[in-house]
Formats: sequence, structure tokens, C-alpha cells
Amino acid sequence: MDNTAIFDLKGRLDSRTAPQFEKQVSDFLHAPDCHLVFNFNELDYISSAGLRIILNTAKAYKSSPYSFVTCCMQDHVQEVFEISGFDSFITIHQSLDDSLKQLEAPS
Amino acid sequence: MDIFFQIRNDCSELTTIHAVLAKLKKRWNLTRRFISEMNLILDELVSNIIEHGGCNGEIEITIRLIKKDNAITIILTDTGPPFDPTITPIPDISLPLEKRTCGGLGIHLVRQFSDGCSYRRADNKNILTLKKLLPEENR
Repeated sequence: MDNTAIFDLKGRLDSRTAPQFEKQVSDFLHAPDCHLVFNFNELDYISSAGLRIILNTAKAYKSSPYSFVTCCMQDHVQEVFEISGFDSFITIHQSLDDSLKQLEAPS
Repeated sequence: MDIFFQIRNDCSELTTIHAVLAKLKKRWNLTRRFISEMNLILDELVSNIIEHGGCNGEIEITIRLIKKDNAITIILTDTGPPFDPTITPIPDISLPLEKRTCGGLGIHLVRQFSDGCSYRRADNKNILTLKKLLPEENR
């Protein structure tokens, strides 16, 4: 799809690695001009430093005409999202296909 | 059985914590989930110490992990400015997106993944003691 950017997150997202990730997504947050998918398939670990970036991403997209969705979270990563209450405002799909299908569907 | 190690107030030390826990996983035969939660607890607390320490130079951080009976006790000390994470306000996680901030989220996760903690200040050190119950299969 032309109007969708997919980020593949890998390894560990903590206060050591968060600044680099934040830099990489900052262009998308300034003025969103496409849909955004965070694919968590290979993300083994997330701390509150990573959650902060996810929250800022969700906020930036909330006021844009585009969608931000996530997919393929490992159980313990998803648990951190749920304990933080993030699952109430962030869409979490089982697979990348599910995410892309939602973004393709006319809203 | 216990483990003791010392780290500096630098984010690169999160790798040290991860490495120590990876060894403990084998030695104490712990589950991946348990180690991941232990990692999150230590990560959040140490990241807080680094953040609150500001630019006041080197802060000495020590971590002791004790496996006894049905729990692991974590004793975390640091020479940074006084900070009691047991009395920080609890974030309201039911707020809608527009009103959510990330303040206090790290400590919220620590509380959720541990089973009791206490704080005291002594010898110019913050001393935090946490307990985390072992999963059924490790008891």
C-alpha cells in the first residue's frame, strides 16, 4: 500500500534505545501524511520509556486524518500495554495482515 | 542464594542488568516471563535513579537479589538525592488518550509486577526493598 509506513521493531525498547527510535519516528509525528503500523513481532521487551513514544505517536495521529495501529505483540509486551491502559486507545492486531486490511478498508 | 552487583548511573548499565538476569534465569531455573518482569522492575527503578540524579556526577547503585522460600527479594540502593518511589502518585490509567501523560507510568509498572515494597533513607542512601513472589512452578 502506498499510503502506509510499517516500522518493524526489534529487540529491546528501553531508556537506552528509546532516543534512537524516537528520532526515527519523529518525521512521521510532525505532520502525519500516511497511515502508520508498528509491527512488534520481533520486539522482546518494552519499558515505560518505549511506552512514552507510543503514547506520543497515538496523540499525533489522533488529530490527523490517518490511522496508527500496532500488531504482533508478544504476550508479555501486550501485558505491559494492558497494565498501562494503553489498549483502550491503541489498536492491537494479531497479524500485520489484519492491520493492513483495516487500513485498506474505507473508513 | 543471593546475587550482588554494582552499576553506575548510566543508561548503558541496563544492558548489565539484562545480562545478569539472563544468567540468573538459567541458574535459578526461572521462566522467561518472570525474568522479563524482574527486568522491567529494575529497569524502571534504575532509569528513575539516573533521571532524578541529574548531572550530579557519579551515583553508586547496588542491586542484591535474594531467592528465599517462595519469593525473590530485591534490595536496591543508590547514593542519589532522596527519592521515595513508594509515595509517588498513581497515574489514572482510565483517562482518554488526550489526557494521558507518561508521568508515573514506570513506577506504576513496578507496583503491578511486584508484591510489596518499602523504602528508607539511611547513610545518605536510598534503600528500596521489593518482593516478587515466584511463579507456582518455581516454588
